Amino acid sequence: MFVAQERLSQVSNHLSGGSKGGKQALLEKHPDDVVVTCALRTAITKGGKGGFKDTAAADLLHGALQALLQRSNVDPSLVQDIAVGAVLAPGGGATEFRAAALAAGFPVTTSTKSLNRQCSSGLQACVDIANAIKSGMIDVGIGAGAESMSQQYGPQAVTEFSELLEGHKLAAECKVPMGVLSEKMAKEKGIPRAAQDAFAASSFQKAVTDEEKTITVGRDDGVREGITAESLGKIRAAFAKDGSIHAGNASQISDGAAAVLLMKRSTAQRLGQPIIGKFVQASVVGVPPLLMGVGPAAAIPVVLEKTNLSKDDVDIWEINEAFASQCLYCVNELGIDVKKVNPKGGAIAFGHPLGVTGARQVSTLLTELRRTGQRVGVTSMCIGTGMGMAAVWVAE
Amino acid sequence: MLEFRTQGYNGYSVKYSPFFDSRIAVAASANFGLVGNGRVYVLGLTENGIVADKWFDTQDSLFDTAWSEAHENQLLTAGGDGSVKLFDITLAEFPVQSWQEHGREVFAVHWNLVSKDTFLSSSWDGTVKIWSPNAPASLTTLPTHSCTYSAAFSPHSPSILSCVSSDSHLRIFDLRTPASASNHLTLSIPIHTPPKPRMGAAASVGIPPAEALTHDWNKYRETILATAGVDRVIRTFDIRAPGAGPIAVLPGHEYAVRRISWSPHLSDILLSASYDMTCRVWTDGSAMGVGSVQQENMLDDPMVHGGGREMGRMGRHTEFVTGVDWCMFGAEGWCASTGWDERVLVWDCRAIMQ
Repeated sequence: MFVAQERLSQVSNHLSGGSKGGKQALLEKHPDDVVVTCALRTAITKGGKGGFKDTAAADLLHGALQALLQRSNVDPSLVQDIAVGAVLAPGGGATEFRAAALAAGFPVTTSTKSLNRQCSSGLQACVDIANAIKSGMIDVGIGAGAESMSQQYGPQAVTEFSELLEGHKLAAECKVPMGVLSEKMAKEKGIPRAAQDAFAASSFQKAVTDEEKTITVGRDDGVREGITAESLGKIRAAFAKDGSIHAGNASQISDGAAAVLLMKRSTAQRLGQPIIGKFVQASVVGVPPLLMGVGPAAAIPVVLEKTNLSKDDVDIWEINEAFASQCLYCVNELGIDVKKVNPKGGAIAFGHPLGVTGARQVSTLLTELRRTGQRVGVTSMCIGTGMGMAAVWVAE
Repeated sequence: MLEFRTQGYNGYSVKYSPFFDSRIAVAASANFGLVGNGRVYVLGLTENGIVADKWFDTQDSLFDTAWSEAHENQLLTAGGDGSVKLFDITLAEFPVQSWQEHGREVFAVHWNLVSKDTFLSSSWDGTVKIWSPNAPASLTTLPTHSCTYSAAFSPHSPSILSCVSSDSHLRIFDLRTPASASNHLTLSIPIHTPPKPRMGAAASVGIPPAEALTHDWNKYRETILATAGVDRVIRTFDIRAPGAGPIAVLPGHEYAVRRISWSPHLSDILLSASYDMTCRVWTDGSAMGVGSVQQENMLDDPMVHGGGREMGRMGRHTEFVTGVDWCMFGAEGWCASTGWDERVLVWDCRAIMQ
């Protein structure tokens, strides 16, 4: 049967376009590509004391959607669905997000949903919309994220575990706080505090020179100037006496919103929308709950294999900095060039509004790829309860 | 349209006899050529439709066939087991000769049209071999180092031959050149070269290489060849200007193109067969104006990026179409096609041309 197998693959190569695949094929433009014509975010501000501390998540979303309509100039009645990633809002925020979309100027015919895959909700929202476009269910959609950690962060965000769940070892581990388990993981994987602090400091330093435009007036107020590894070295560890994780090398609690306008290339060309990038492929992979920080290291190889890319083909990596320890671990584990990781700083410097991050990364990534004339980018993040998600994007 | 069913065998190649207008050979394979027997049919076109005059069964799949130019009853087959066989239809059952040299599937056989004592074969093993029906072993082996789907002698010269392979190159060999390190290779043209940018046309961006599956020599313009393959595009090249890129580019097929054939009657007409289940007739545009490559930056060259166009299509096949050939006799335009739908169709392409 060996010969038959070979002949079959030869014929299927004829049909699939053969050795195509890899970077060159990725850069090709096809009418059925799902493309991004506008991606933006609000400023991201500090939870509890920042500029948006009294602004509801839905109001942040309203701001982002309104700005998206304004900047893209797309006819709102053509947008058929809006997916909003949100983690903390009770009921997923389904009601108020629909209301926010209507208030932002979308007609009643534009549907809205909210979804929650923890820290990757924003990316999941974009991927859901992209897949709905690919399958033909909708033509134009928006992937978004909105989060007010100021107003909705707290113990009420998780329901009490039942006895059944408490009695199951792996299940019970799902509610171990992120800080605690990341501390354990840092120790287990041997990521020293000095390395974490250096990584965190560089995130701040890169973010200070941030040139990315923000739309809702205001600036990212979590970014502090003059942070160095030494200055971070003085902060007391937060989760264990002899620990390594502290406020300066973990992501900040933040408020913000982001939105990404997606459609087929053929639609964009018909509507005269400027194409800034395209969505290629995404992956999601589970990992042990206690090692949730390794998520990107698990998800990224999968998406690279799906797209037939090598890690050297990727120009910029946006890997969410939930904690310096886990991000650094993933970078080392994947063997990627740390200089290509989060060139504009990450969640340590300007914050991690949970449901927003995935959509925020798209705008950060495409802006930077376009600014530097590079093409291929990957966004990825670890996900609470033990998962990783990654997506490949191409700037145009 | 006449029809013949190759029951249980999926067609791979069809060829009109160069001696009789009513005789057609069809190479076919069981199980889509993946595993199992092969069969070559000799079909007769009669008043009662198409009848099978004769067939030969082989152990492994058959992917191509070619009539002898020297003997009206003999034909070659290209076997999945690497064998090239010569059958005589006046004899029963067995081939008169079988050559077993290729290491992998043989995908093309072609008889020399000028000096009729040689023929060639090309294989997935990355070689083209030249043979004589009287010699027990091949005369010459020409390496391509790449799965070679199609090879053919020039219809204008006894010693020039060409092939296309999965590395996206068109190679020209001249057997008169010394057998030095280049093994008679005289030209190697990258098929994916973009057409030369000219005024008034947007410059092409890089085109990725794609497997070339088929090619053919123009029967009238002796330096013109057409190629096609996985990237769905038919291109014509002038081997006098190998660096100039394609002269005509004919996009249109929705899947890989499996076979192309220039008309024996008209210098600008091509027939193609594709995985998109259609056969299409094309003009390369050369009959509309000036015939060959012009100076650069001439706007009135009708063949810039084509000038050619699709003139019609035949969509009666219900599976991949793998073979197509013109009838050399009688009214211009009769042709035969075969495919994985176990059917041979004989039709007049003037009926579909616009």
